[in-house]
Amino acid sequence: MRLLVVEDHAQLSAQLRQGLSEAGFVVDVAADGEEGAHLGETEPYDAVVLDLGLPRLDGLSVLRRWRAGGRSMPVLILTARDAWSEKVEGLNAGADDYLAKPFAMGELVARLNALIRRASGVASPVLRFGPVALDTATRMVTREGQPVRLTALEYGLFQYLALHAGRPVSKTELTEHLYAQDFDRDSNTLEVIVARLRRKLGEGLIETIRGQGYRLLPPR
Amino acid sequence: MNAAPPRLPRSGSLTWRLAASAAFWVAMGLGLIGWFVIRTDARQIEAAADARIERQLDALVAAVAFDRALGPLLTRPLADPEFERPLSGFYWQLTGPGGTVLTSRSLWDSRLPPPRPGEGRLVARDLWGPRGEALRVLEREVTIEAPGGRVPISVQLAVPRAAIDEEILSLRRGVVLAFAMLGAGLVVVVVGLVVWGLRPLRRTQEELVEVREGRRQHMDVTAPSEIAPLVEEIEALIEQNRATVERARHHVGNLAHALKTPIAVLRNALDSGDAEAARAQAMTLDRLVQHHLRRARAGALAGSAAGESAPHEVAQAVATALSRLTAQRGLAIEVRGERAARVRADAQDLTEMLGNLIENATKFAARRVRVTVSAPRGLPVAIEIEDDGPGLSPGEDAAALARGVRLDESKAGSGLGLAIVNDLAQLYGGRLSLGASPSLGGLRARLELPPSRG
Repeated sequence: MRLLVVEDHAQLSAQLRQGLSEAGFVVDVAADGEEGAHLGETEPYDAVVLDLGLPRLDGLSVLRRWRAGGRSMPVLILTARDAWSEKVEGLNAGADDYLAKPFAMGELVARLNALIRRASGVASPVLRFGPVALDTATRMVTREGQPVRLTALEYGLFQYLALHAGRPVSKTELTEHLYAQDFDRDSNTLEVIVARLRRKLGEGLIETIRGQGYRLLPPR
Repeated sequence: MNAAPPRLPRSGSLTWRLAASAAFWVAMGLGLIGWFVIRTDARQIEAAADARIERQLDALVAAVAFDRALGPLLTRPLADPEFERPLSGFYWQLTGPGGTVLTSRSLWDSRLPPPRPGEGRLVARDLWGPRGEALRVLEREVTIEAPGGRVPISVQLAVPRAAIDEEILSLRRGVVLAFAMLGAGLVVVVVGLVVWGLRPLRRTQEELVEVREGRRQHMDVTAPSEIAPLVEEIEALIEQNRATVERARHHVGNLAHALKTPIAVLRNALDSGDAEAARAQAMTLDRLVQHHLRRARAGALAGSAAGESAPHEVAQAVATALSRLTAQRGLAIEVRGERAARVRADAQDLTEMLGNLIENATKFAARRVRVTVSAPRGLPVAIEIEDDGPGLSPGEDAAALARGVRLDESKAGSGLGLAIVNDLAQLYGGRLSLGASPSLGGLRARLELPPSRG
C-alpha cells in the first residue's frame, strides 16, 4: 500500500516514514503544502497522512484542492491542535479521519488500515479466499489455519489484490502502489513475486488475465 | 511590545472640519449683512447727492423766464462757473413749448435727452453725457407766468456721477475690508477654541503613550465630563489587560510547576531504560499540557465579549463531520429542534462542547444519536444529546464529569471530554447534566446555555 505523508517537521516526518515502512507501507514524503498537493494530484496513493500546519500551502487548502480536483483517496489529518472546531472543519473539507498529536504509531497504522479497507468497500478486517485468510489489522496471512510467512512485497501485493478482489489489476497499477516514487521499477520482479505467492498460498488463487494483469476472485 | 500602534485610516481633521464650516457660515452671514449695509448706505449717499442737485435745480427754476419770440430765458446766470466751462459735466437745459431749447454754455452744441413728461414731479435719472461720462440728472416741469399766458417749461440739471460713485466705492471698500477682518478673526477664534477644546484629548493620548511604554501605571488626566468616560473606559481596559497578563503569568507558573515532576520522573526512567514508565510520564505530560491549554483559554475568555452562536447549525456541522467517521457503522445522527436559537457563547467553544458530547454519544450508540435544540422563552437554551447505547447507572453520572475519569477503558479517549464540556459550560454560566434518555434508552447529556440577548 502506497502512502503520502505531508509533514513539515523533519524529525516527525522521518519517524513517520520509518514507522509506516515498518508497518508495511510504501511511503512518499512531502515537506510542504505545494509539494504535497502536487504529489497527491499526480501519484496514485492508497491513503494520505496530512499535517494541517504546513508551509507554502496549509493542509486544509491542500485537501480542498484535491477534493475539488476529484481526488478521492482517503485522507487522515494529523495536527497539534485538537480543537473540535478544527476537527469539524477538516472533516467537512473532505478528510476521512483525524488524529491529534501526540499520537502512538500503532494507532496511526490501525486508522490507516481501516481507512484503506473502507475505501475499498471492505468492512471486516479479515478477508477470506477459500482456505487463505488475510487479517489487514495484524498483517497475518494464514492457509488452512496455519500462518504463512510473507515478505513485505509479497504481503503488499497480496493485500492490494485482496482489497481489489474481483477485478483485474494491471502490472502498472501494482507497481505504482507497491513502490515509492523514486524507486527503480521492474515489472519482471512482479512476476517473480506472484510466482512465490502462488507457491505459498496455492496455485489457483491468483489468476493471470492475458493483457490485463492479475485477479483475485472475490471472497466466498 | 512598545512598537508604535498601527496607523488607522483617518477621517479628516476635526479642527479643519470645524474651521471650514465656521468659515463658510461666517462668510455667508457677513457677506449678506455687508451687502445690505452697502446697499442702504449707497442709497443714502445718492439721496444726499440728489438733495444737493435739487437745490441747484431750484436756483435754476427761480431764474427761468419765457419770451414768445426767443423761447426760454435765464434772468440771471447760475453761480457755479462749471456750467460755463465746455463739457465740464455740469449742464442744464430748458425746454419750452414747441421744442424751443436753451442750454448751459458747458453743453456746447449737444443736448441732453428730452425730458420725460413728469407733471411737476421731481425725476432723477442716470444718463450718459456728450463725452460719454456718467451723469446724474434731475428734471422737473414748471409753469412760468409769461406775457400772453402761462407756459410749461422742462428744467433739467446734470452733474457728473464720478464724485458720487467715488464715495460709494470707498464706502464699499471700507465695509468689505472691515467685514473680512471680522470674519477672519471669527475663524481664528473658532480654530483656537477647537484646539483648546481638544487639548484634553491630546493630553489623554500622551498619557496613553506613557502607559503603553511603561513609563506610567495609570492614567490620571482630569478630563472634562465629555472625555472623562472615555478615559475611564481606557483605564478599565488597561486594568483588564493587566489582570489577563497576571492570570496568564499565574498559569504559566502553575504549568511549569506541574510539568517539573513528570519531567524528573521521565528523565530517571530514560536513564534506567524503563520505557514503560517513560511512556506513562509522556502521557501524563500530554494530559497536563491539554489541561493547561483549556485553562489558558478559559482565562483569556473570562470577562471578554463571548459573541453568539447557533446550536442547531454547530450541531449539524459536527454531525456531518462525525458521520464521515462513523459511516460504515451505519450510525444515524439526527439534529432537530429550534434552528433560530442562539446562545451567548463563542462558536469555537460551542463546537468544542457539542463535538465532545456528540462524539461521546457516537462511541456508545448502537444505531442512533439524536440532538435536540430547544429554546423555551425566558429560560436557558437546552441542547440534548441522546443515544441508544448502554447508558450510565445513577452513581456513574457524577464520576463521568470529574476530570480524567474514564468509565469505559475499552473506548479510545483521554477521559477529559465531559470534564472539558462541564468546565466550558460553567464558564458561560450554563450547566451540563447527565441522565437516561427516555425515548432511546441510552445516555442523555443535557447542555444548558444562556440565550443570546437581542
